[in-house]
Amino acid sequence: MPPKKFTWYNGIGLTLALIFALFPVFWMVSTSFKPSNEWVKQPPVWISGNATVENYLTILWPSVLLEKRGGLTQYTEEGEQKVAETTGVGGAVGDILIKSAWQAIWGSIIISVFATALSIIVGLMAALSISRYRFGGNTTPFFILSGRMFPPIAIAIPFVVMFSDVGATDTYWGLILAYAAVTVPFSTWMLKSFIDDLPKEIEEAAMMDGLSRWMAHVKITIPLIKGGIIATTLFILILNWSEFLFALILTYTKVATIPVQLAKYFSATEGALYGVQAALATVSIVPLVIIGFFIQKHLVRGLTLGAIKR
Amino acid sequence: MRRAGRGFDPNNKKYIGGLLITPIQLLLTALLIFPFVLELILSFSEWSPVQGIGLWEAVGEVFTEDLSQGINYNILITEEPRFLEALGRTALISVTSLILEFLIGLGLATLFLKAFPAKRVFFTALLTPMMIMPVVVGYTWYMLLQYTGPVNQVIGWIGGGQPDLQWLNNGFLAFFAVVITEVWHWTPLFFLILLSGLNAVPQNPIRAATVLGASDWRIFWTVVMPSMKGIIIIAFVIRGMEVIKLFDEIYLLTRGGPGTATETISLYLYKLAFEDFRLAYAGSAGFIILILTVVLINVMLKPIRYQLLEKR
Repeated sequence: MPPKKFTWYNGIGLTLALIFALFPVFWMVSTSFKPSNEWVKQPPVWISGNATVENYLTILWPSVLLEKRGGLTQYTEEGEQKVAETTGVGGAVGDILIKSAWQAIWGSIIISVFATALSIIVGLMAALSISRYRFGGNTTPFFILSGRMFPPIAIAIPFVVMFSDVGATDTYWGLILAYAAVTVPFSTWMLKSFIDDLPKEIEEAAMMDGLSRWMAHVKITIPLIKGGIIATTLFILILNWSEFLFALILTYTKVATIPVQLAKYFSATEGALYGVQAALATVSIVPLVIIGFFIQKHLVRGLTLGAIKR
Repeated sequence: MRRAGRGFDPNNKKYIGGLLITPIQLLLTALLIFPFVLELILSFSEWSPVQGIGLWEAVGEVFTEDLSQGINYNILITEEPRFLEALGRTALISVTSLILEFLIGLGLATLFLKAFPAKRVFFTALLTPMMIMPVVVGYTWYMLLQYTGPVNQVIGWIGGGQPDLQWLNNGFLAFFAVVITEVWHWTPLFFLILLSGLNAVPQNPIRAATVLGASDWRIFWTVVMPSMKGIIIIAFVIRGMEVIKLFDEIYLLTRGGPGTATETISLYLYKLAFEDFRLAYAGSAGFIILILTVVLINVMLKPIRYQLLEKR
């Protein structure tokens, strides 16, 4: 349509949409800087007058904070009791508070990086097979996609039993495999759409010049879709970083990811540690927003399985 | 260099295609198909770990013992009101939020066809919710919707006085809390998809219609919408596929409560398996849901199958 004039009520609509989109994010970030007495104040505090980084210290270096508050130097049975007292919330909190979130942050990084790598390698091979060799006709791509269709919780029980039988619960490699299996349909379809965009004739020309089929893929196809591979990698990284359910049912104490840590804070305190949780949430979304910004123009392609290309 | 013999040619097209697809088939078979089959078998058993019977013994029992009990389970599950309610609720949440997301997304997309300053910045800002992980979305809205939270405060400013809205403790309001959260999270995707659709609408018929004196409204319905049909279906199918799995946000927002007011199929299955430990029962329910969703989505995918596979 030819561009129409931007009217004042358009402006109001846009402003409302912006407030709706950004207010929750603002609230989360703002809460993460509030001292504990302002978390549930009535009326709510919008921007704290005495902003503090205490919440961030609490999740990253619990000991620093606890020492500052006086007392607790070692994590004994009594110590945990004391932590619970100083924060003014129930007993189980100490357990979780004392544990630094580094374990979760480290877990999230390790698991999402390796799961993404696995998902991309397997997905790239499958995408080549589907796009260039039409292996399995129309059935295979949709078989792969069906892995993404049903609620993963529907196979959770046999999944957990199977994993504990081979000793994969509460391990990094177990979660890496599980995450890769859930994201591989997306990486396959997205990469397939990038390969589809590339004319077959380029590879054929390379083969005429003496390259084998394998080398044509390695030396011609893959370098030519490099941008697509990077975009897909970042996209899958977002998905893996956000994955929650499998980490929830497959981890206990040795391995944690940020979403699970967040949920643990939540269940231990009925959500009452507002500032601390908001701090962890803020830390966790920073990489997502940055990555998302960089692959903005590929997001549609990824999320629509390559059906929409712009 | 071609080697002699038929089966051993590493450059044979069929051989390469098969070899390249093997890893994904292995991964999906081991981690999705195998549990799926186990679940089917389990759904015929009375297995519960409380009895001290391992999974494999339970599987063995299914093949050696009388099946009538298990079959009863499979039939009973469809009669349990909580299961059926969860199904209906998931459908209701999905349909309500998809329609809202579509309408808001379409409104915003038409807005972005016009020229205004700092468009790029606004565009990026509006996409933010989509990037945030579901667990964080759930917790953020949990904070916002507290009785003493900012949402009630703002409603108080508009309506006057402190509103008596227990968003997360009232079944009716909790349903809307879930819908609002879902709409907040995924409207940007509809906006993005619909905007790219609107940008691809052919311009000539519109100019012709304008010259012939058609109103904007008429042009929108008779020229723009028909050419957007494919893209609208894609948006609904892609989102539909994800929204029926809705779990993370609700897990933090209401845990399916109060009571079972916001219990979707995913939450129902989770509670059944990991809180009530009714494993065989959860297996039956899981299996039925699996079949239902795969069939439903394949039906939904039908109209866009061609679009997804074109340019191969």
